[in-house]
Amino acid sequence: MKAPDFSYFEAQNIEDAIKYKSEDDEAVILAGGQSLLPALNMRLSSPSCLIDISKINNLNEIKIEGDFINIGALATHSDVMNNDLVHEKLPCLVDILKMVAHAAIRNKGTHGGSIAYGDPAAELPAFAVAMNAEIVLSGLSGQRIVNAKDFYLGLFETDLKSDEILIAIRYPLLDVNQHLIFDEVCRRHGDYAMAGLMAKVELDQSKINNLDLVYFATGDKPNVGQNTAKLVIDDGYDYEKLKKSLASEIDFAGDLNSSSEMKLHLATILINKILNKLER
Amino acid sequence: MSAKNSVNISFSVNGENFDDVTVPTRQHLADYLRSQGLTGTHLGCEQGACGACTIEMDGVAVRSCLVLASQANGSSITTVEGFDDEVMQKVKNNFLKHNAFQCGFCSPGMLMTTKEIISSKKKLSRDEIRSEISGNYCRCTGYQSIVDAIEETINEIN
Ligand SMILES: Cc1cc2nc3c(=O)[nH]c(=O)nc-3n(C[C@H](O)[C@H](O)[C@H](O)COP(=O)(O)OP(=O)(O)OC[C@H]3O[C@@H](n4cnc5c(N)ncnc54)[C@H](O)[C@@H]3O)c2cc1C
Repeated sequence: MKAPDFSYFEAQNIEDAIKYKSEDDEAVILAGGQSLLPALNMRLSSPSCLIDISKINNLNEIKIEGDFINIGALATHSDVMNNDLVHEKLPCLVDILKMVAHAAIRNKGTHGGSIAYGDPAAELPAFAVAMNAEIVLSGLSGQRIVNAKDFYLGLFETDLKSDEILIAIRYPLLDVNQHLIFDEVCRRHGDYAMAGLMAKVELDQSKINNLDLVYFATGDKPNVGQNTAKLVIDDGYDYEKLKKSLASEIDFAGDLNSSSEMKLHLATILINKILNKLER
Repeated sequence: MSAKNSVNISFSVNGENFDDVTVPTRQHLADYLRSQGLTGTHLGCEQGACGACTIEMDGVAVRSCLVLASQANGSSITTVEGFDDEVMQKVKNNFLKHNAFQCGFCSPGMLMTTKEIISSKKKLSRDEIRSEISGNYCRCTGYQSIVDAIEETINEIN
């Protein structure tokens, strides 16, 4: 299908974009367009205006700031995958991005776009929550920082206010004893997952000291398995027990590819896959 | 600060300049190119999944159904019609030799994706080639012949 009619505004700087957005409730930000344009072509959305921020300078920088690696909102998935700092300081992100769509889409789709959109099936929002990332937002009254854990409110619903633009994501650098391990089950390489898991593991020798389990493609937003993580630390992998725990703390929602029961099953076995990866 | 429903843009396609042309803001780049007779760029799903509309924009492969024509302002574009250098001739010959064109619908996208794969000059395994073209649907060949053609081209140029 074809997109409905809308007007188009090419923002030259962040201030222009914020001003425009605050004046028009139905205008939406256009970054890489790799989620927005499919939605428009399918007529799932009919904004009054697209505010194109993709030409704003310096919003794609990737740099180290203290104990954080700071990724500018407009850095494309390909920019991030080819960046030396990311390879050195956050190599797991390179492996995760290999699972995000296909090269031609990664060449346009942006890091900030994926985080701001909050697709529950997307890898990056769950990654940001597992990493305890800080999300930097800019609006009429200046900048504020929101923890990724508090940013995702519900299905495609975030804490982004109508006058705000996401400008960067700050990931705390991992200590030597901390690891971010991920796995997902999907039908075709590059497709959205049927279920996926981001696990942040803190080791003391080979014993797990601390564990955060954050799921994607399971419910309405990145789903945290807090009690289940405790069970894993105490008792290791026990399929029935972990499945029961996950069922009680996450509201699994089925989709076209997999029912909620199937997602619960996949979420459970993903824990085993992660533990196996950890041993290697 | 004003927003409009059409914009004037300038860009180049296969070396030819398009100066100050008016495009509706809702039109995606694939539709604009096709309206100019450049119908080598095919449209399958218009949601980024099938890969038939893949073109090269400022040196990298993109989906032309997921780029607005208005966003092409200032850019340099190559479509399958602009496929004429020596290496791309090799690609075409190998696609012919291995019967990697069947109905031809996916071919423009496959060729543009192949262009990006071989430009990295990496020696890829068959599995890696399969993963690189995983964003392009083909409903005829079962991919075997396409992987054969890409593999042979990679061997020839490295
Ligand atoms: C075929 C296909 C397969 C895909 N597969 C995957 C996959 O497996 N995993 C995955 O995670 N993603 C996948 N994607 C989505 C892709 O990663 C998108 O690029 C990404 O989700 C959105 O980034 P974008 O820059 O394209 O955002 P856009 O499409 O431009 O914007 C998306 C939304 O976020 C808002 N927005 C964007 N940037 C900002 C900002 N800086 N501040 C405030 N709001 C903003 C927009 O207003 C819009 O509502 C796929 C896409 C396609 C077409």
